[in-house]
Amino acid sequence: MSQEFIAIFMFASMMLMLFTGQRVFGAIGAVAAIAALALWGTGGQDIPFSAAMKLMKWYPLLTLPMFIFMGYVLSESRLADDLYRMFHVWMGPVNGGLAIGTIGLMVLVSAMNGLSVAGMAIGATIALPELLRRGYDKTMVTGVIQAGSSLGILVPPSVVLVLYAMIARQPVGQLWLAGIVPGLLMASLFILYIWIRCRLQPHLGPAMEDAHKVPRAEKLRLLGAGALPLIIFASMMLPFVNGWTSLVESSAIGALAALVASILKRRMTWKIFEDCTKQTLAISCMFMWIILAALGFGAVFDGLGAVKAIENLFTDQLGLSPWLILILMQLSFIVMGTFLDDTAMLVIVAPLYVPLVGALGFDLIWYGVLYTITTQIAYMTPPFGYNLFLMRAMAPPEISLKDIYRSIVPFVGVMLLALAIIMIFPEIALWLPGYVYGN
Amino acid sequence: MKLMAAYVRIVDAINYRIGRVMMWGLFVMMAVLLWSSISKTFFLPSLWTLEMAQFAMVTYYIMGGPYSIQLGSNVRMDLFYHNWSPRRKAWFDAFTVLLLILYLGVLFYGGLGSTAYSLGYWGDEPVTYFAGLLTGNEEVGRLERSSTAWRPYIWPVKAMMVFGFFLMLLQAISEFFKDIARINGQEIGAGRA
Amino acid sequence: QSTITWRMQTYAGPALAEHVIDPAIKMFNQIAGDRMQIELFYADQLVPTGELFRAMQKGTIDAVQSDDDSMASPTEVTVFGGYFPFASRYSLDVPVLFNQWGLNEIWDEEYSKVGVKHISAGAWDPCHFATKDPINSLEDMKGKRIFTFPTAGRFLSQFGVVPVSLPWEDIEVAVQTGELDGIAWSGITEDYTVGWADVTNYFLTNNISGAWAGHFFANMDRWNELPEDLQTLFKVCCDQSHYYRQWWYWGGEANLRVNGTKMQLTTIPDEEWATVEQAAVKFWDEVAAESETKAKVVDIFKRYNAEMLKAGRPYRYG
Ligand SMILES: NC(=[NH2+])NCCC[C@H](N)C(=O)O
Ligand code: NA
Ligand code: NA
Repeated sequence: MSQEFIAIFMFASMMLMLFTGQRVFGAIGAVAAIAALALWGTGGQDIPFSAAMKLMKWYPLLTLPMFIFMGYVLSESRLADDLYRMFHVWMGPVNGGLAIGTIGLMVLVSAMNGLSVAGMAIGATIALPELLRRGYDKTMVTGVIQAGSSLGILVPPSVVLVLYAMIARQPVGQLWLAGIVPGLLMASLFILYIWIRCRLQPHLGPAMEDAHKVPRAEKLRLLGAGALPLIIFASMMLPFVNGWTSLVESSAIGALAALVASILKRRMTWKIFEDCTKQTLAISCMFMWIILAALGFGAVFDGLGAVKAIENLFTDQLGLSPWLILILMQLSFIVMGTFLDDTAMLVIVAPLYVPLVGALGFDLIWYGVLYTITTQIAYMTPPFGYNLFLMRAMAPPEISLKDIYRSIVPFVGVMLLALAIIMIFPEIALWLPGYVYGN
Repeated sequence: MKLMAAYVRIVDAINYRIGRVMMWGLFVMMAVLLWSSISKTFFLPSLWTLEMAQFAMVTYYIMGGPYSIQLGSNVRMDLFYHNWSPRRKAWFDAFTVLLLILYLGVLFYGGLGSTAYSLGYWGDEPVTYFAGLLTGNEEVGRLERSSTAWRPYIWPVKAMMVFGFFLMLLQAISEFFKDIARINGQEIGAGRA
Repeated sequence: QSTITWRMQTYAGPALAEHVIDPAIKMFNQIAGDRMQIELFYADQLVPTGELFRAMQKGTIDAVQSDDDSMASPTEVTVFGGYFPFASRYSLDVPVLFNQWGLNEIWDEEYSKVGVKHISAGAWDPCHFATKDPINSLEDMKGKRIFTFPTAGRFLSQFGVVPVSLPWEDIEVAVQTGELDGIAWSGITEDYTVGWADVTNYFLTNNISGAWAGHFFANMDRWNELPEDLQTLFKVCCDQSHYYRQWWYWGGEANLRVNGTKMQLTTIPDEEWATVEQAAVKFWDEVAAESETKAKVVDIFKRYNAEMLKAGRPYRYG
């Protein structure tokens, strides 16, 4: 069997298996196991297990349960309620202000967790009902929450960037710092879009009259709520960036800080605590088993020569310019992301792409940011998108699936714009890590 | 059908209990990592923390895996799946879960071989070896150690992984039985979570 | 007749492999042509380094380039692979020990026992510290978390070094993310080649071993299946790779100490370093006490070094 054929065969059967609706890790693992048994030759049956040993040595994965726990503590204990009131009171009087405030809320929530689930949960439980009650347009609202929560993986801490860092062998610290400015840029673009749109069509986001009635002192007091995320963020990032604690240790500190904050604010009950712990296991297992299966798939794919076939295709046969190759890669990620699991895609496809990106002379830190934004788009684009699924599960019945699909269109447009801007001006991503780490 | 229901009940109960214990493993990892940063700041850094945390992580996700299946947290690509009737889902699952079982079986068998190796067996028949260990025909040989300065024996963590894969297999079979029951219009082992 | 294909995994990552293995394999493939092709995979690419030995023994991987220590081979000679403290001073010591002083025979016997073909041993670079903070005295080594070989780590821990083992490819990042304070794994040539010089600032000129010893191995059955001329070709290409490293490292070490700009050199005075050398003598005896084979190897090291000392300059200076 030729290497090209193996590449196509393995990919196609993985897709087919995924379409049957079997659990993602089962679909990927089964293809890996079958290919290993049938095509490897002597000893192929050991590859899936040796992937488990490889995973064990991937120490940055230890951050995963920590950041997931952090997110659950944050959303389940309603630590963000005060934050929400702060934005509500300060931004309410503007047209579209509550939506703009929600984006602001998402930025702060992003600084306290590594995924977008927490942002989604917070957005759907506290922001969404209020926005609807205030007469905001429903597609505007669901779009804002989905887009805003996706900042969770661009603003540090970020699980996706940790995973990328492992695959691309790039320092997590620099990647995280590289995500900050693009994250803020994207948030600003979202805000700009909301503001313009609501100026043109005020009925999409009517201004709130009663917000004026809140006394000044109360308004100022609420500003204090903004300190909490900054403290949690700093407790984790400062020791890390200064090299006092390692990445995995910092993640444990972050998780502990969130827990302590929720206890001090008297928001933590045993029930919530147990629930967060349970959910963390569930989500961590989901990730780890996908990574386990994808690592096995990747090793078999590689050992059978399929990787070489793809490399040849890009480098020798197509004969394209570096930029064109880069854009093609991004496009293929976006296309794959519409129906593939992002983590599996990262573990399987990125090892093919990343060395090539490096060889073409592009910066791998910068590419990490591009990759993350692409992943965010994948989360939101039908048919397959985690954030879409979550939204569908959390939205009240008056919001239909069609509303949800429609709501993301302008925001995906904004994200594509941000992607283009960062591609053209790499400095947006690279300036901050260069400044802090001084090179 | 009765037998299947009994199997499902027992396996689900065992895996539920193990999962409920494993979920607290999060704090074991957290404690090890915190100890690592404390000892590094105030005393000499410890040799064992990173590796210990890795062992804890592996235990956490492999032994916790079956419970995560019970919780339904292993995502599916539900483009079509989402819209199918329960019966149709069960039909598809009943077939594809066999492939999942195959994968877990390969993991399990590979782990068995690797564990036998870590106990000093260098042949190709781990099953025979373990049977021999029980009957006294085989013995424990050169124990594999981790290639770190701490040099812990590696068999406990490998044995634990194999055990976890075994539990996962049992759970996948339990899911298969549930699908069979569903195809027949019944529901066994009502979800606990 | 169909082409024989082998999968070979090295313990080196791509940047290093470009020098230490790629050329030899390219040469082999070019000469063997349609008769045989070796596909080379880098550190941890197909299987993690810790599982490498077992994978080769079973035939999942056909051939391996590694030292005994890193891949934890289950033999009596494992501790001597990689950097056995102060066993050799120059990179020529290694081939002399293997070819003229009987180590080849010992290795061959040990690996045959576990179903693996030991093809040949070669020498690499000396073992130096590359660290973020300077080491000017033994005191400075205390508490530093250092990526190093298992045996070297065992030896160094008596000086307060905290040895850490991570996948080779993760080292650069681990230094940056604070998991590591430094590396004691290579000479300065490698520090520059693989990028470690970019993340560390200091290079300690004292070394704990003058040359690494590492090998080519193959699965016994795969090896025996090869026609004799391909076996010979494989050996010749291995020797070519050993030869390449002899000049690449020897020249590189001197050049980068003098002309390199990324790392500052520091030195622990000879009188103080003598403590470490004495500790090595004790360490040798400890290891020798562990088994007969180990005692045999240690004895060879002792006699060899005594003879070199007698031979005087340029073999040993004082
Ligand atoms: N590979 C996965 N299953 N990824 C799910 C993560 C997506 C989710 N929206 C998050 O970032 O929190
Ligand atoms: Na974040
Ligand atoms: Na998508």
